[in-house]
Amino acid sequence: MALSAFPFLLPAEFESACRDLADRCTAAQAGWFTRLVTQTSPSLRITKYMDVQTDPIQVDPHEAYMIRLEEDDPEALVRTDLNPKLQVDYDIVPVLYFALRWHHYNGPVGLEAVYRYVVPEQYQKELKSVGIMGGISFGYHPESGAPAFFVHPCNTADAMAQVTDARSATAGTYLLIWLGLVGHCVNLHIPRELVASDSAGLS
Amino acid sequence: METQASPVAIQRSIWDGRIPLEIVLAPSESRTYDKTDPYLVSCHRVSYLPSLLPRLRAFFSTSLIEPSSQHHEGWFTFEGVPLKWHYPIGLLFDLYAGAEPATRSNTPNPDGQDDESPLPWRLTIHFSGWPVEDLVRLDPDGMVMNDAFINSVKEADFLRNGTAKGIMSLSKEDSSGLWKAVENVDLPSFQRISNTLLPPLSQPFRNVPVRIFLPLPPDEDSPSLKVVQTPIPPFIPTSSIQASQSISARSSPSTQPQTVGSVLHMLLPNLFPSRRTPVLAKPVLHGAVLPMSAPIEEVVRCSAYGDGWVYVVVRMMG
Repeated sequence: MALSAFPFLLPAEFESACRDLADRCTAAQAGWFTRLVTQTSPSLRITKYMDVQTDPIQVDPHEAYMIRLEEDDPEALVRTDLNPKLQVDYDIVPVLYFALRWHHYNGPVGLEAVYRYVVPEQYQKELKSVGIMGGISFGYHPESGAPAFFVHPCNTADAMAQVTDARSATAGTYLLIWLGLVGHCVNLHIPRELVASDSAGLS
Repeated sequence: METQASPVAIQRSIWDGRIPLEIVLAPSESRTYDKTDPYLVSCHRVSYLPSLLPRLRAFFSTSLIEPSSQHHEGWFTFEGVPLKWHYPIGLLFDLYAGAEPATRSNTPNPDGQDDESPLPWRLTIHFSGWPVEDLVRLDPDGMVMNDAFINSVKEADFLRNGTAKGIMSLSKEDSSGLWKAVENVDLPSFQRISNTLLPPLSQPFRNVPVRIFLPLPPDEDSPSLKVVQTPIPPFIPTSSIQASQSISARSSPSTQPQTVGSVLHMLLPNLFPSRRTPVLAKPVLHGAVLPMSAPIEEVVRCSAYGDGWVYVVVRMMG
């Protein structure tokens, strides 16, 4: 199926692209948790958990104390995994929105935390150099209205047109290519399995 | 015959538009609970709430229980609802204040000081307990506000041109100048820079940057705003019935200008069953009822907010 509005997607094409990507993730067991939302307007939620090496000084002393208490308590449930985990919820709406949530740790969730924990080092300089505050802004999630980060979408269409064309991109591969362009800078790398399962279509 | 205002005159009166605000300090943060004097200010509709924060912080400094709080920690509520600071004050007023909009035959009396009057608009300022679930945090240098404004400008520019090249190629000086002009409500400086972004009159917009805010359901726990937005072309194919009617010189014979009424009918047919007459609801912009017959591109060209967007608030009738 050719994309009629390339380098853009029509709403129906976007929905089928989301569905396709969700199916691929499930099939390939990519280590992402995906959820397709189709209520008002379609969107795709990808959740990723990251183990984070944090500066021990920054651990909330109260929380650390509670954890020690639990460890000393023979009756407490065995918790094998108490390393700080950073949960990143990415939403494709179709701008890439994301929010941070900490587990076992009371860490920062502001823009400085995004650059410290989420943006890979090689993209830091490039991302910070554009716009007023860099290529990532804090805005409002279009569906929930809650504060969330988003990756500036300005040149996405141009970039899409450069790496593929209307004939070879399908609704199925469009989002994969798009994520390849946009996702890297915020640590959302496409697992190899997703592409491998469709290497013919992506030629 | 009614006299027609020029687009320039309309834009000037929009930028001159002001709303009187009465701002009180949240009683829980005040040494004198609810006995703190309010701060009274006449605010431009096109400006933004954070611009008031340094003055408010200074004014309330002696009343604050927590004297170490800073101006950028300030946030506003109206009747308990946190106000999104990235929307212009005029839009927030049209959304929440419940004021009766002006029509051609009825200009609300600004001196009407009865108990029902929404003026001055009474807001509460808080300097602690930032509502992280509702509002993006500000920074001391105003960069977050500036960034939010420019992102909104980019979005509008992208819709008008189909690319964001205009705003992206704007010099750093002009890009910060655009925000400064809005911050200082300096219309001549604003026009000089924004004219380089707008396509010339002879060249219609690709799409028209319009957002429509639906009425807020009363008694709802989460007062999140319902916003409708879709690419809106400035011209639509002429239907056979209207084909004989005269149309603007800029449109080809098979198209006609998209009007406020045709946009509302297309997006919200239940609320706007007619393209010509408001039946159940009316569109409000800058405190006035928008004429349904107004071509939408002309409305945007002369009466957009500083970020290039027209924010229409839908108000139920009766």
